[in-house]
Amino acid sequence: MRKIYISIAALLLIALLPSCRSEVNKTLIVTGQSSHNWMESSETVKQILDETGLFRSKIILTPPKGEDMSRFDPAFMRYDLVVIDYDGDQWPEKAVAALTEYVKNGGGVVLFNSANSPLATSYDSVSLTTRSEFEVRTVNTDHPVTRGLPVRWLHPDDILTRGVDPAGEDGVLLATASAGQAGPRGRRMVPVMAARTMGEGRIFVTMLGTPDEEGSKALHCSGFITTLLRGAEWAATGSVTHEVPSDFPTAAGSVVRSGFKAIDSREAFENIGSYDISQSTKYFTWLQTEIRKASGDDAKLLELEKKMVDVLRKSTATNEAKSLIIRELSWMGSDYCLPVVKELESVEELKDDVIFALERLQ
Amino acid sequence: MSKARTSRRTFVKRSAAAAAGFFTLPVIIPSSVLGMGGKTAPSNRVVIGSIGTGSQGMSNMRDFLKLGDAVRFVAVCDVDSARLLKAKETVDTANKSNDCSTYADYREFIEKEQLDAVSLALPDHWHGIIYTAVADKKWNVYGEKPICRTIKDGQTIVAAVKKNNIIWQTGCWQRSQAHFRKGAELVRNGRAGKISHIEVGLPDGGKGIGTPPVMDVPPELDWEMWLGPAPATPYRGVCHWNWRWILDYSGGQMTDWAGHHIDIANWGTGMEYTGPVEISGEGVYPPEGIYNAPVEYDFTCKFANGMTMRVANSSRLPHGMGTTWYGDLGWIHTDRGNVLRASDAKLLEEEIGENEIHLYKSDNHWLNFIEGVRTGKPTIAPIEPGYRAICTGLLGEIAMTTGETIRWDPDKEEIIGNPRAERLLSRPYRKPWELPTV
Repeated sequence: MRKIYISIAALLLIALLPSCRSEVNKTLIVTGQSSHNWMESSETVKQILDETGLFRSKIILTPPKGEDMSRFDPAFMRYDLVVIDYDGDQWPEKAVAALTEYVKNGGGVVLFNSANSPLATSYDSVSLTTRSEFEVRTVNTDHPVTRGLPVRWLHPDDILTRGVDPAGEDGVLLATASAGQAGPRGRRMVPVMAARTMGEGRIFVTMLGTPDEEGSKALHCSGFITTLLRGAEWAATGSVTHEVPSDFPTAAGSVVRSGFKAIDSREAFENIGSYDISQSTKYFTWLQTEIRKASGDDAKLLELEKKMVDVLRKSTATNEAKSLIIRELSWMGSDYCLPVVKELESVEELKDDVIFALERLQ
Repeated sequence: MSKARTSRRTFVKRSAAAAAGFFTLPVIIPSSVLGMGGKTAPSNRVVIGSIGTGSQGMSNMRDFLKLGDAVRFVAVCDVDSARLLKAKETVDTANKSNDCSTYADYREFIEKEQLDAVSLALPDHWHGIIYTAVADKKWNVYGEKPICRTIKDGQTIVAAVKKNNIIWQTGCWQRSQAHFRKGAELVRNGRAGKISHIEVGLPDGGKGIGTPPVMDVPPELDWEMWLGPAPATPYRGVCHWNWRWILDYSGGQMTDWAGHHIDIANWGTGMEYTGPVEISGEGVYPPEGIYNAPVEYDFTCKFANGMTMRVANSSRLPHGMGTTWYGDLGWIHTDRGNVLRASDAKLLEEEIGENEIHLYKSDNHWLNFIEGVRTGKPTIAPIEPGYRAICTGLLGEIAMTTGETIRWDPDKEEIIGNPRAERLLSRPYRKPWELPTV
């Protein structure tokens, strides 16, 4: 009975908020067999997708390895996106046909770290590398999934699958990764990300994100999370709204998030006041990224400026944080920040910064 | 020899007198020019000193010392006493003497020394002050690229060099390599046709180090003086060489190399005395750590004649490192390692005719400077082209910092209609340091 009430409430909500409904992509995650710990990876993928509010996902399991698969027949057509985290026994023909039909009719699929699975491209033999940090090369920056990404970024503690061509014959290779030490002919590049189309539908393939027992850095990598989200969004809708976050890894180093979410304004301004360069510079990098994004828009810049000035006013904020904020204000600030900046000239540790800023602002 | 340096003339006299056992007064020594056989007479020897004796400063010193009698180093200056001592040893060994003077403070160096020329290799944030100060002393300068950390610094340096009418050589030594000259000369003579686009590939940024803890300043280093006009900050073990990755001192690989490959690009098109009119692009900044210069960058400059120039880290470009000019007859690409290629090898084959444009020829960048000092002949890399090359890089930096399309007037050297971006044309100096007014 309770279930019915909830369903009615949900239906009402959906009816009342039609615009919201269209933004959330109903997602089915299929797992149950894999060479990696699929229980952890599928839960992680679910969390990553759902936390953005762009997806609402459900996990279903195939029968365990070696057991009868004949009754496995999910209703793919009900979903906007199907994520396959699977590397195991062959699916029954009916299920494969249903999935293929689903894509051809415009469905979106993410093949997550899935070698032996339906829709995976054919290959002769695969081998796995040892777990290590490696460099990902974004080889295509024109595709919606990879547009705006660094072309070189470090990804921590993962395992690469050699011998798979995720792009297949008709797809677009998006990224490769270097496995192992450089040999005489340089590093061997392994394809790790691709985008394919089939009929009206789209398939995003990522070979990144193999969980391990020690917290799965590979799955907490902001590069993995971002590309998974952008790939999923592209597969489901054909376009990408999830932005490249300020903590996307670069050639300078990999970035492992404690959770999965990107930094948002609230988190950043709550924490930037306790900025301590020896801890982390991520909130400050976030601020600089936001300033660049607001470029040319006086109203947006003023909004940021006001929040920055709020930090300057906080007695609890560190001088280190204030110093960096004053230096940013020195070029992007307006008259609004002047009185508060001037006041800080009396603080010995901030005097130089204030003089610096006033020279530019006045 | 005392620290109070005598003038070159006095020096020559003194040396000659010493050689003659103090008796002979003015000795007339027939002058001979290096390369024409015989030794260089002391009166033709260029008396030179160095400020900045790190890796690049010492590299330049060794290149000058290779010229043998043409130069005589007499003084060195550095804020790192260990480096200073090494530099002195190098000079003394070359001079077979023990009289190379040493200074920790460039102001004392400038006050006391009497030189014909000075070789400068300093972190970029010091260029504005020291390049201008030596120009005002009317010393001829071999100055490392990039000319400046900010456009305002650069404008000040250019004005000082012009006002004092000194011989200047920018350390963009690629100009003195035959294949770079040939590439630029072919382009200048239209072998690739009318140039519509240029790609300039510069190095990718490297790995970060996080933020190391504050540590004791090594006893040999004057950290406060090293920082100079840059913001005060505790020492974290990042100083020599790696200052390049911190925006307070440099713009990273991009500004380091802009002075090379953008310079070659401009040399080829003959646009060494102008600049772009519109600049836009994006940088990739490391999210964590003390190194905050962009590790990737990709910006495009439009010129008044419609030509575009894309400057990016080499991994983003089809030809990677170096300069590639695209014209309506094909492309020509040049890079270090003797690289000179074209879309069609035939573009490179036809000789440059007698009546065509012949670019300035130099086969040794350091000798070219010394010859300039001796004869007054302009060098292959005078101040303004060096400044214009880094100016383009710095406009790219401003476009990436602000996220905006920057409009630039290359004649007036002003940003048009963007007060925020305009503020980034200069960096206020930490007191008591001031950028001199020229």
